[in-house]
Amino acid sequence: MRPSESPETSNVSRREAIRRAALLAGAALSPEWLGMVGRAQSAAAKTYLAAAQGATLAAAVDRIIPRTDTPGAADVGVAAFIDRLYGDFMTPAEQQLLTQGLQEIETAAKTAHGSGFSTLSATQQDAVLRTIATAQQDRDPGSFALIRSATILGYFTSEQVGRNVLHYDPVPGAYNGCVPIDQVGRRSWTT
Amino acid sequence: MTRGPVSFHSMFIQGAGTAERTYDAIVVGSGISGGWAAKELTEKGLRTLVLERGRDVKHPDYPTAMMESWQFAGRARLSRADLAKQEKQDRTGYTTHPASAHWFVNDVENPYSEVQRFDWMRGYHVGGRSLLWGRQSYRWSDLDFEANARDGVAVDWPIRYADIAPWYDYAERFAGISGSRDGLPQLPDGQFLPPMEMNCLERQVKERVAKAFGGRAMIIGRAANLTQPHNGRGGCQYRNRCIRGCPYGAYFSSNAATLPAAYATGRLTLRPFSIVTGVIYDPRTRKASGVRILDAETNQTSEYFARVIFLCASAIASTFILLNSVSDRFPSGLGNDSGELGHNLMDHHFKVGAGGVSDDFGGQFYKGQRPNGIYIPRFRNLDAKSRQKDYIRGFGYQGSASRDNWARGIKELSAFGAELKADLIAPGPWRFGIGSWGECLPYRENRMFLNEKVRDKWGMPTVTFDCGWKTNELNMRKDMMNSAAEMLETAGLKNVTPFDDGSAPGLCIHEMGTARMGRDPKTSVLNGWNQVHTAPNVFVTDGACMTSASCVNPSLTYMALTARACDHAVSEINKRNL
Repeated sequence: MRPSESPETSNVSRREAIRRAALLAGAALSPEWLGMVGRAQSAAAKTYLAAAQGATLAAAVDRIIPRTDTPGAADVGVAAFIDRLYGDFMTPAEQQLLTQGLQEIETAAKTAHGSGFSTLSATQQDAVLRTIATAQQDRDPGSFALIRSATILGYFTSEQVGRNVLHYDPVPGAYNGCVPIDQVGRRSWTT
Repeated sequence: MTRGPVSFHSMFIQGAGTAERTYDAIVVGSGISGGWAAKELTEKGLRTLVLERGRDVKHPDYPTAMMESWQFAGRARLSRADLAKQEKQDRTGYTTHPASAHWFVNDVENPYSEVQRFDWMRGYHVGGRSLLWGRQSYRWSDLDFEANARDGVAVDWPIRYADIAPWYDYAERFAGISGSRDGLPQLPDGQFLPPMEMNCLERQVKERVAKAFGGRAMIIGRAANLTQPHNGRGGCQYRNRCIRGCPYGAYFSSNAATLPAAYATGRLTLRPFSIVTGVIYDPRTRKASGVRILDAETNQTSEYFARVIFLCASAIASTFILLNSVSDRFPSGLGNDSGELGHNLMDHHFKVGAGGVSDDFGGQFYKGQRPNGIYIPRFRNLDAKSRQKDYIRGFGYQGSASRDNWARGIKELSAFGAELKADLIAPGPWRFGIGSWGECLPYRENRMFLNEKVRDKWGMPTVTFDCGWKTNELNMRKDMMNSAAEMLETAGLKNVTPFDDGSAPGLCIHEMGTARMGRDPKTSVLNGWNQVHTAPNVFVTDGACMTSASCVNPSLTYMALTARACDHAVSEINKRNL
């Protein structure tokens, strides 16, 4: 028997569950939660990387996940997320690796094209990143791998991607362990 | 009128007279065992005081329960500043996720010491670790209760399966355990709600394992997650965010299940921020008369009195309280004539198993996030045929199949661009992974003891651990890994990768055995009813009481033992024996 099809108590319990969920949504608007949002917003306004580093980062993440028929990294604020990650969340070793990686991208751009990475064409940027990625293939931890993984994380855990690109179903209500994929769509679930 | 939980804490208790500080029963701790003790004792008519060292948490106020990944500034990460307060709690790799870190203690305020590494994960708040547990709920069998006697290890359990079976029934009916009836002697069936469903790949592996290994069972996990509304609590919504607290009350926790039942009697008083520092022993009556507490907010000390005292503070904390309860009669800790208090510390050893991918079911997916997996019950050392040469006891596997999501992209090191993005939006290959949970033997030298030198935020002594795996566990681990790989390969999975990531004691969060039950007061702390042999109105019904560790998850057994001990306590009170 499915939870949604269960006996006479189900209506009452579902209503109660919804009431509690609504209550919780209300609770989620408590000053504590608003404070959290406030912090996130003010932190987004603040930046931790230097302006030049930020420009390199913004250009790089948008080539790692470019806009197609779905949003790109720039569309969903990945650079700002990584900046925040750098400011408050990364270990000192990761911080160092990130800034070193941004420096490596700049140096490679100047060497190959004589100008800053963010001023290059998309094709030139891709070539620079590919050169770095190839050169670092056996490096652990590699600075490009860090920038790349932070970009993937920031992109796929962003609100826009979570709600509109992946399959958003926050309260599934049931589990079906084996369904034809075309019935649900060829997109991973937002988790 | 709505009937809400009423807590009288700290309103009139401070400075009140002895009469106001006297109850029929005191329960120390509000986790799985404490919640059950509160429910049973109040329902049997006892005015009961529950003392919880941490803050109150009222169902359904779980702050992160409805938050999405993008609402956490560091997404899956805790900030450096916050992580610095939870360095030891971080050792699991999952507890300090920002969605759940607030349920785990501040290690700076609550330090402990390690002669050998011990990962002590604690939740100091009302509900304790009942809010955080893995919810896997299995009965022990006589394979477990007879194990020590059969192997000549440690001491014999004073009970057998027949003693606890009706209490498993009772606990399951209230808690709500979903599962299938499988007819396995080593994993007795219970009073189950409908089972959760296996997914496509799990069904295939189940059939192939059974066929290749002489009927070896793979079952859906038996979980304290409700597959239908139950006792006024809602059914599972398949969000798989249980560790945050469930606003639907769809898994068993003290907050959603036992404490509301206890409040409903009108006989429960819950006092948060109450650190119990010791049990008061009365040499005249040869019983305990009450407990001493330290108010975690005000640092004031006070005493509370009762006819029976249930220590349900967790294996380590309950034993700590007994060790710290020193009197002329008990110079090394209350009930410690045997000298076993703090010894025979156990946990399950795990983080060993195998994983592989499947080429099948590319056209299939699943809907919903199931908060449960599959279980492969113990198949070693059940009988002469399955006897192993180099270790005794056994292990089970938990696992699941799923399709990889975008996170698989992080493991690649260099690909980027439009193609990568498109690829990562779609579900990846099906993957099947199993990890093994192994039994650990009770060794006297594996222990915890008081550390008077290192003090916590409140000036209390702390705990030092000295506990490690030995040959039996290490030999077993080889089989745990190899058997996992063998099963997955035989089941047709590809790129099967065995792993043994190692696990220090404690990491499994199944601490057991520091005040074991036994038949003889000379070699055990508790009798067959969880009573301290030499202070019979003190009951210990959490993991401390366990005489051996089995390989299955222990919480359901704490529920059953607690309900059974409460029944005994009230019966003894009525007979004027307590």
